[in-house]
Amino acid sequence: MALGIFLAIIGGAFVSIQNTFNANVKKRVSVWTTTALVLLLGFAASFVAGLAFEGTGLFRFDAEPWFWFSGIVGVGVVACVTQGVQILGPSRAISLVMVSQIFFGLMWDTLGWFGLEQVPFTWQSLIGVLMISGGVLLFQLGPKLEQKPFVKLNPETMEAND
Amino acid sequence: MKGIIFALLGGFFLTFQSVANATISSQIGSWQAAAMTQLTGFVLAIFIVLIIRDRSYRQLTQVSPLYASGGMLAAIVLFSNMTAVHIMGVTLTIAIFLIAQLVLAIVIDGKGWFDMSQKRIGKTQIFGVLMMIAGVIILKL
Repeated sequence: MALGIFLAIIGGAFVSIQNTFNANVKKRVSVWTTTALVLLLGFAASFVAGLAFEGTGLFRFDAEPWFWFSGIVGVGVVACVTQGVQILGPSRAISLVMVSQIFFGLMWDTLGWFGLEQVPFTWQSLIGVLMISGGVLLFQLGPKLEQKPFVKLNPETMEAND
Repeated sequence: MKGIIFALLGGFFLTFQSVANATISSQIGSWQAAAMTQLTGFVLAIFIVLIIRDRSYRQLTQVSPLYASGGMLAAIVLFSNMTAVHIMGVTLTIAIFLIAQLVLAIVIDGKGWFDMSQKRIGKTQIFGVLMMIAGVIILKL
């Protein structure tokens, strides 16, 4: 358990660094070229790490056919998030992505689909997930709320603020 | 409305990715799973680049090598994600990943590290993270 928490903290921190680096790449290069580059380097690094830790054992595996299509999911992530950000703007889109992520997580743990160990649903876990979602929304949308009044009557100033 | 659906779908795919990676890694090993999902994703992404005739890779020379090599961090991210999902399930893994991600984002933006434009950290962001941590504690009590 403690190991799981530790790994998740390390992993999340690296996601943040990677997002920052990718944002710098995207200043010059398109989303899809950036995605291709990131996936290629991710493959190279995993491959080298695998060779270092397991030697040629890396090549001894028995994959089910669908494993070879697993990359589609990652491309789906990029396509949907990019579209969402373009339409809604980054803070609203990313907050929705994160809330959706955590609710689907709860659903998945509850249903135990895809060989995942089933975690029985409790109302307490729903409250936890609702609080996490509230925290995400506060984090992402908070700066906007601080700057703007809640009620805006003049449509012209509304546009100016956006 | 379309934007909302895309964002929700994006979240679904992210969770699906964690689950699929964890499942694949329990059958063929973590590094194999990481290498396989990244390679197959790359093949598809490069297809898209070719189809939309995207030539922006020419500007890659103007990107700092440090930032351009960020993709390599995925090895660490994927390994820790798969192992954490095995240990404590996908909900808790995602929750702690998000907290760590947002806390570091506050630091990076606050200090203006890695060429990010420096931003002032609002109270709502600190409260947001504290609320998420409280949520995780409730989730796990």
